[in-house]
Amino acid sequence: MLRLVSTVSRPTSTGLLGKVVASSHTQNCTRRPFSSTSPKQADITLTVDGKEVTVPQGSALIQACEAAGSTIPRFCYHDRLAIAGNCRMCLVEVERSPKPVASCAMPAMPGSKVWTNTPLVHEAREGVMEFLLANHPLDCPICDQGGECDLQDQSMRYGSDRTRFHEITGKRAVENKDLGPLVKTSMNRCIQCTRCVRFANEVAGVEELGTTGRGNDMQIGMYVEKTMNSELSGNIVDLCPVGALTSKPYAYHARPWELKNTESVDVLDAVGSNIRVDSRGVQVMRIQPRTNDDVNEEWISDKTRYAYDGLKFQRLTTPLIKQGDRFVAASWEDALNAIATGLAASGAKDNEIQAIAGHLADTESLVALKDLVNKLGSDNLALDQVNGTSSPVHGIDIRSNYLFNSTIPGVEQADAILLVGTNPRHEAAVLNSRIRKSWLHTSLEVGLIGERVDTAYGYEYLGADAKALTDFVSGKGEFAKKFAAAKRPLIIVGSSLAEHPDGQGVYGQLAKFVEANKSKLVTPEWNGFSVLQRAASRSAAYDIGFTPSKKASETKPKFIYLLNADEVDPKSIPENAFVVYQGHHGDIGAQLADVCLPGAAYTEKSVTWVNTEGRAQLGRTAVPPPGAARDDWKVIRALSEIVGSPLPYDDVLTLRDRMWDISPSLVRYDITESTSTDVALVGLKTLSAKANAKVSGEKFLKPITNFYQTDVISRASVTMADCTKAFVKNEKEEFSNLGKGPQAAFA
Amino acid sequence: MSLLRACKQASSLTRQNIATSSIYAARFVATDAAPPAEVKTESTSSEIVAPAQPPRDVMVADVISGAPSELRHRAVRIYQPTRNTMQSGPGKGERWRIDWDTLQGGGRWENPLMGWASSADYMQGTKITFKSKEDAIHFAEKQGWDYFVQQSTVKRIPPKNYAENYVYKPNQLRIHRTK
Repeated sequence: MLRLVSTVSRPTSTGLLGKVVASSHTQNCTRRPFSSTSPKQADITLTVDGKEVTVPQGSALIQACEAAGSTIPRFCYHDRLAIAGNCRMCLVEVERSPKPVASCAMPAMPGSKVWTNTPLVHEAREGVMEFLLANHPLDCPICDQGGECDLQDQSMRYGSDRTRFHEITGKRAVENKDLGPLVKTSMNRCIQCTRCVRFANEVAGVEELGTTGRGNDMQIGMYVEKTMNSELSGNIVDLCPVGALTSKPYAYHARPWELKNTESVDVLDAVGSNIRVDSRGVQVMRIQPRTNDDVNEEWISDKTRYAYDGLKFQRLTTPLIKQGDRFVAASWEDALNAIATGLAASGAKDNEIQAIAGHLADTESLVALKDLVNKLGSDNLALDQVNGTSSPVHGIDIRSNYLFNSTIPGVEQADAILLVGTNPRHEAAVLNSRIRKSWLHTSLEVGLIGERVDTAYGYEYLGADAKALTDFVSGKGEFAKKFAAAKRPLIIVGSSLAEHPDGQGVYGQLAKFVEANKSKLVTPEWNGFSVLQRAASRSAAYDIGFTPSKKASETKPKFIYLLNADEVDPKSIPENAFVVYQGHHGDIGAQLADVCLPGAAYTEKSVTWVNTEGRAQLGRTAVPPPGAARDDWKVIRALSEIVGSPLPYDDVLTLRDRMWDISPSLVRYDITESTSTDVALVGLKTLSAKANAKVSGEKFLKPITNFYQTDVISRASVTMADCTKAFVKNEKEEFSNLGKGPQAAFA
Repeated sequence: MSLLRACKQASSLTRQNIATSSIYAARFVATDAAPPAEVKTESTSSEIVAPAQPPRDVMVADVISGAPSELRHRAVRIYQPTRNTMQSGPGKGERWRIDWDTLQGGGRWENPLMGWASSADYMQGTKITFKSKEDAIHFAEKQGWDYFVQQSTVKRIPPKNYAENYVYKPNQLRIHRTK
């Protein structure tokens, strides 16, 4: 009987709002340094349903009721959006109040007595429900929200059992809007809770979505015929409490009660958003966000949410061996033997054996592959990026040199942010929404060095190349002064900078600047030098040291092992090299290969992913891999046996032991391990030594030109191709014709 | 000493304990929830980070339950399912759940006759809910299952106020509300 007990304990949610809020302003809720005090907030005490509850001052009444354990029905109120107070469903009775009050728009008052379950409240809610249903179509059987509809549930609980609706003119009819290939609208069902409008305004930064008209004629729309061009637009489907906004790719595909929910981690960017994979049978039907305030709050990007249909197409399902100019399906045994023969025939010795790790390689398989390649006597471990065949400019010895040290929730504490060579909107869409949130609610100033992009918040443009950075570092310009005056400044360095020819010089200059301002930028509570990775496997690869030695990077490889490497330049692969591709999609990497080994995609394996903050998270198998595809680390383990240097682990637990030996942070799940100030400064010192490296002055280009297609899964996805057409190429789609035909006249 | 070996040692301790304790005593103990494994942070060397587990008086139920022995080789996950973001209700989110990982080979396949999902895994549709994490851990230990506890996340919602919509901001206007 063997126990797997996670060794780190975190405070669990108490459900009491007061306790929860006290920790909200600390950077790392597990270990708060002595030098920082938690902000003291006055608490107030009130009575809800006879239960005393203490909440921080300034809370809404609905929060106090939640804290007391009384569920309040609501449509317009949402924890992460501004308060609107227009659905009136959250009415409660307050002592000495002549009327029921809307608990979301009412501040909690000390000493007040609140009842949430009295006849008055029930009557009020029934009345509200009657108004809401007066214009709501009775199409639940064909509505995609059916089964997880707030209106459906709450009308069962609070609604009347009969109608008084006898208008011969019928219900209100509203034309459907075309919001693009992701969000399907059925505006008849809209109850005008305006959650989508508030989300678009505040979080996504789409200020065109709004309301027109008033009263019964109020409508939600983009004012003009326009699609909702935002990388977070899928979240309005979640927010909609009724079926007015539903998911277009998922339309009529499944009902919520048929789905098996698996809580997992997203890998299509380096944020490591927490997701819930909903599957039916062997198919992933949809992907939903999972709330985690440390990572993605409640939002996920459209790529995360809708690229799942790419898991059905272009899959490698059996091992393939290239014969002449075509691939022939083979058994695992034959394929592995073919690799062993190919390795022997290629005559690859030592560093001539090269492994290239791609964006979607999981940590377990990276460790196994590194061990295998090292066992074969090679140190030639490359990454699938520009300059990936040489050691990265930031080095990998000090963790803080390549991680997002300020942590994702920490971004909200920054009062000045400098973005260098990055567009967080496309590289980490969820993180970008945090910057926007902070920008809206605080006096945050943002500066950008790099290509001009639409970031969804205002920024001061400093320039496009290393010269602009030199100016900033020397204190020229208005933003540099603001940055110097900031209390918690933050520098976000894009991952593409390490791939840039000026990378060394730029990193050096930045490190020198950070060292000079270490009293603000590197303190025990705050590390303001953050590198934003954009590939899910990158932090893990750096953590385990998946980089070539100097000698190895100069060797011309004769045997190349591509692990999920699909961004490789075909020209960089030597003509006579023997190439093995292991991965789940037939993309560029598989085309180059002599032998293809089918692996599992991220929804098909329970593996570790390390996000850009260095937070290790354990994904989970939702569906089995198709055909003969297998867990990636198992494939490498099997191969090691065939090539004659077996790896010493037989199951995933021993493999995770090995990971523990390499770096305990790889198996300490769900927490970030901050680098101490001294170590971080040592890391910066190694960088700043190269501050005087020659710079060519080449412009920093954004690494992602098409947000919707960045990896094999999203490139194989039909939905993402639709998005590319609609949002990147701005082509009109045939779906734009939906709803343009004459509408049935109801009035 | 690595995590696994520490776990193995801890479990062998437990086994011995079970063997020595009489069945009656074990049965009494098994009915009430044992306290959770205390995470001991004191460590003599930096290598030992795994919690030293106190011997627990838990009777392993699969001695008599007749459950297939394969179950002992499958780790279960103990977690608190997160709220469904499609709905505003808490969705029984305070409960803890035990369920099994999907198997690679016999996990699920499409039935060639009807196109329905078939499975050779008798645990694929099973999930067990508990009132607390401790209950779930105790149950898993009682059954002799390996388990992985996924910590629940801390919800951090700041106090919200309707008046925030109308707060004066001194500098340039940064949002144009269209609601």
